[in-house]
Amino acid sequence: MEPTTDEVSQNMFNCQLCSLSTPFTYYGQKPPNTRAIVLLEECFVTKDPFSPDRERFLILGSNCSVCHIPVCVGAGCSIFYTKRFCMQCVNKHMDQFPSQIQDELAKKKRSSKKGVS
Amino acid sequence: MSERRREGPSWDWDSPNCRAQMDQIFFRQHDYIQKGTTEHKEFWTFFERFQRFKTKKEMSGSGVAEGHRKEERDRKTTIDLGLPKDYDGRYRINISVCTKDVEERLGTGRSDQRNRHSSSGPRSQEIAACRLALLHFLDFNQRQSFGKLAKLRSEQKALPIYQYRDRIVELVQTHPVVVVAGDTGCGKSTQVPQYLLSSGFSHIACTQPRRIACISLAKRVSFESLNQYGSKVGYQIRFEGTRTPSTKLLFLTEGLLLRHIQADGALEQYQVLIVDEVHERHLHCDFLLGVLRSLLLCRPDLRLVLMSATINIKLFSDYFNSAPVLQVPGRLFPIQVMYQPIPAEEQPSRSEKLDPRPYLRVLQGIDQRYPPEERGDLLLFLSGVAEISTILEACQAYANHTKRWIVLPLHSTLSLAQQDKVFDIAPPGVRKCIISTNIAETSVTIDGVRFVVDSGKVKEMSFDPKAKMQRLQEFWISRASSEQRKGRAGRTGPGVCYRLYAESDYEAFASYPVPEIHRVALDSLILQMKSMGLGDPRSFIFIDPPPASSIQTAMTYLREQGALDPRGELTSMGSLLAQLPVDVVIGKMLVLGSVFNLVEPVLTVAAALSVQSPFLRSAQHNPDCATARQPLHSNQGDPFTLLNTFNAWVQVKGERGGASRKWCRRRGLEEQRLYEMVNLRRQFKELLRSHGLLEVLEERAPSGGGRGQRRERLTERRKLHQLKREHDLAEGGKRKVLRLEDGQEVDSGSDTDQDRRGKEATGGQDVDIQEVKFKLRHNLSELQEEAAASQDLSSRQQSLLKLLLCRGLYPQLALPDEHNANRKDSEQVFHTRNKQGVVIHPTSVFASDPEVLHVPEEGNREGPDKGDSSRHQLLAFVTLLETNKPYISNCVRVPALQALLLVANSLDSNADCTRLVVDGWLEVGLTGEGALNVLSAALTLRADWERLLLAQLGQGTLGAGGGSRAKSGGGLGVPGVSRKDLEKLADGLVRFLLYTEVSYSLCRLTGLQVQNLYVGPQPQTELSEGPAPNPLFPGKEVKPDPIKGGLRVTNYFTYNCLTDSKDLYSECLRTFWTCPHCDLYSPLTPLERMSHEATCKPPGEQQPCQDKEGEGVKAASSSSVAGLTRVYHCDVCNQDLTLTSTEILKHKRQHMHSGR
Repeated sequence: MEPTTDEVSQNMFNCQLCSLSTPFTYYGQKPPNTRAIVLLEECFVTKDPFSPDRERFLILGSNCSVCHIPVCVGAGCSIFYTKRFCMQCVNKHMDQFPSQIQDELAKKKRSSKKGVS
Repeated sequence: MSERRREGPSWDWDSPNCRAQMDQIFFRQHDYIQKGTTEHKEFWTFFERFQRFKTKKEMSGSGVAEGHRKEERDRKTTIDLGLPKDYDGRYRINISVCTKDVEERLGTGRSDQRNRHSSSGPRSQEIAACRLALLHFLDFNQRQSFGKLAKLRSEQKALPIYQYRDRIVELVQTHPVVVVAGDTGCGKSTQVPQYLLSSGFSHIACTQPRRIACISLAKRVSFESLNQYGSKVGYQIRFEGTRTPSTKLLFLTEGLLLRHIQADGALEQYQVLIVDEVHERHLHCDFLLGVLRSLLLCRPDLRLVLMSATINIKLFSDYFNSAPVLQVPGRLFPIQVMYQPIPAEEQPSRSEKLDPRPYLRVLQGIDQRYPPEERGDLLLFLSGVAEISTILEACQAYANHTKRWIVLPLHSTLSLAQQDKVFDIAPPGVRKCIISTNIAETSVTIDGVRFVVDSGKVKEMSFDPKAKMQRLQEFWISRASSEQRKGRAGRTGPGVCYRLYAESDYEAFASYPVPEIHRVALDSLILQMKSMGLGDPRSFIFIDPPPASSIQTAMTYLREQGALDPRGELTSMGSLLAQLPVDVVIGKMLVLGSVFNLVEPVLTVAAALSVQSPFLRSAQHNPDCATARQPLHSNQGDPFTLLNTFNAWVQVKGERGGASRKWCRRRGLEEQRLYEMVNLRRQFKELLRSHGLLEVLEERAPSGGGRGQRRERLTERRKLHQLKREHDLAEGGKRKVLRLEDGQEVDSGSDTDQDRRGKEATGGQDVDIQEVKFKLRHNLSELQEEAAASQDLSSRQQSLLKLLLCRGLYPQLALPDEHNANRKDSEQVFHTRNKQGVVIHPTSVFASDPEVLHVPEEGNREGPDKGDSSRHQLLAFVTLLETNKPYISNCVRVPALQALLLVANSLDSNADCTRLVVDGWLEVGLTGEGALNVLSAALTLRADWERLLLAQLGQGTLGAGGGSRAKSGGGLGVPGVSRKDLEKLADGLVRFLLYTEVSYSLCRLTGLQVQNLYVGPQPQTELSEGPAPNPLFPGKEVKPDPIKGGLRVTNYFTYNCLTDSKDLYSECLRTFWTCPHCDLYSPLTPLERMSHEATCKPPGEQQPCQDKEGEGVKAASSSSVAGLTRVYHCDVCNQDLTLTSTEILKHKRQHMHSGR
């Protein structure tokens, strides 16, 4: 019995910030069977494992529009504001983001600090 | 400006018409979300919330943040990100929905408002609003799913075992056997299979000691490996599984893997085997390890991973040639241990109830020390059910008083619904107090436990080979168990463990529990070993070999049961029994039943006796239940009560479907057991069929009927499948919050509660998932037919069935004590061969109705001895278990003499057969003429029965071995054995059982009598000169028995070996006798007469061809006597004579007389 290859050679998406790692099945802006839906960035996409419907997709992440590292869509790793920005680039260019986002991030920072201490 | 105001009066989001128009744009038939789906419904709910949210935000004024934007703009930045000036939530979403084409086609959207024909059609704002909501909806769903995924991954990473991931994979790649040792909570059971799977291994099997673990692990692992809705990860247990050809990781029970090995010796289908929980040392697991150890020799590519707690790891490593061990720390929070030994005055003295004070002190202590808002439940370990109810009562009284506790029992004899309660959540300020047996030590894991009370005691089953009895005794636990119990307090946070024994006691505990293989009867194990061709069980290399005496006892037992031949090899009966996943006695019953036309009831009884009793103990004292149960009771015995219950249940199922749940509750029945029975029953049937013991049914349409009916059935099945899927998805839902009253009533019959529960368990819908599974698995109309076939048995069928059960259960027989008639109902005493003074378990029908076992009074006047009667009875029983008393349970009553003569392994007689000793412990006293008639009839019947059974078994194995079905749908039940022969035998047996009117005495032999039972070898026995022919089995020899003395007539009957035999006068015992079949009229000894009877059959009933002696039969024989003659060489006359067996005896005697 040979080890089956579909597991090993599967395309893996690895977030450069949180090292979340999971296989993806599609990269681009038009995942299969999404009809009228179009993604506004090139995304790493997989089938939504939590939906019984086989055709539901799940966006895992994409490349940062500034530094181009792959990052997951998790709030701690990136934000999307017309484009994808990894958290590192967000922090670097915080001033360019609207105040709503700045406030939101500041609030998050405070609460996560509280959570740690 | 509010969007709503702009919309104008013509647009109403709540109107179905307006929504339908939006559906036409966004949710068409091929769209990502389609009209009518749950997601579509969810969208509109979302939409309403979204609109409300928007309105609220607008009211509070949204432009607040605008002014915030400061002079930063001017600052020099390296790059301009080109972000829009004004913030819009829309920019946060990376999804867009293009519906332009549709909008244009519908003439909406961009078209000028004034040009619009339809006044109620949506304008662009409405479409935009809907689109925006849809985008937020999609984004929301993305966030939710991604959140789940991220949480999952971070939890996986947080597990202690995650650090060892690469190391484990590497070890498995480079070593045939690897031991992974890790304590509770390290994640080995869920993660190791996944690591192997994602590193490229496939065809992985992972064994578990418990079925429930197989299911829950498969569920968890398939979820974690993001294959929740696929079948990459599956499970397989006795009656169900989710395995498909694409399954790569299979969780299964140890027993099932052993069965796989039985079928496929090299286990070619697997690449990796993971044996989990090896430290628990279950019988099957120890055996499995032994089998795998030798299997590795012929499968060098196979990978074996043993997973264990950090207990005795060296044992496993050494057993597998010093296999590498990877030790993983567990993840337990710190646990404070408090030793609180029970003071002497509170120690329960023997046979006294437990003193609850030490336990109550712990509850009080917790109440004093820990504020109620600090959550954390209590788990209390006791040894058994009786102990649990004692402490439960006291704790409940305390809880009533303080209102701070909900007290719940947990043990395996509770109904499943009651067991389920322990997982529910206590309301704020109240703690759960779960009082459990050691079931909560490993099998059941309850979250949220912070306090553990450990009594240090456990009740464990052991086997007493001398009394052939199981014993449930209380012991101190081992240090390993003690640690395991303690660990239950530290799963979710720091905890406290109160040990109600001294630290010095703890030090004195054994390190590990006694492995099961050292405690239990090994009958089934040895049988399985034999059928797997593992050679002599005594030389098999076990990880921890059982005592040789244990193996010996099992071998002897199997020989007595006819499963092994005298050389210890498997008989055809034995190889069949090895295939049946039940006790040997139950297996025998099945095989015997398949010979006669009693398959259906026997299948039911065998299944019923192999599962836990459906009768809930707690309902026994409920008068309503007792009344409702009454019609199900049979005073023939418990198997008949079970049979009635099953049949009645099937009828209810057939007539009222799901109403059976209520029907069961009324009667205090655990329906789950009945479902198990129906599954097991079917498995038995299939097994018997595949061994050629039952006719293979011609393929028939699922329910017969025409195409319409078939289609209907198909539709129904599809619906059922759908229901099952929905249920599977809904499962594992939220836990209910307990009410204070939940701890109060212990009675399980509370209707409302169970109804509530049943509904809740199925996610709000009133779907009984068991009913759904049942309908999917079984053809109800077929089942009803089968039940009908075993309902309302005639008295003939009933007595035959009893005989079959008795022969199956033999040697598990009990004799009522002779003084029982003078005792109270509760003090009835019985004796088995090896154990005196056993009592009937209170759940048995005979416990409440013992009179039916008493010998009727009128028997007394007949014989000279007052014990004489023709109505003596015996009990055949399924289990003998000693708890506080030795109890027999699942009993059936049988007519004593008839049953003994037909099933006993050893019958010894005196010279005139008026005294019989059965199996060396029962003495039967008969008088004169009747004695011989009955003995002779029994011997003949047994010979016929044995012959037909062998013929059938022979056929069966041939049919199965050759792979081809012996028959192709013919009417004959058994090829080679004619139905006529079977019917004749059945008829004979029934007549013998029902119409033998012989008065006899029946008693146990005393110890002294047993010592001086036999005459012993007699060098000068008159018949010992030469081998004499066997009158009952022509062609075999009647030999003097070398130990007992006398003549060994058949393998079970020894004539004239009892010490009181009037041997000197044996010649005087001749009496004149007329053979009813031929003209013979002469003075004969008992033996001569029996031998004549065995060979002389009424004309027309001749066996055309004797099995063993065909060549000795003259083809032209017409006379019954002549037909049985054979050539006999007499050494004295030096002549070849053609004589019947009887004549040979006579002839020999002539010489003896002349020789004197």
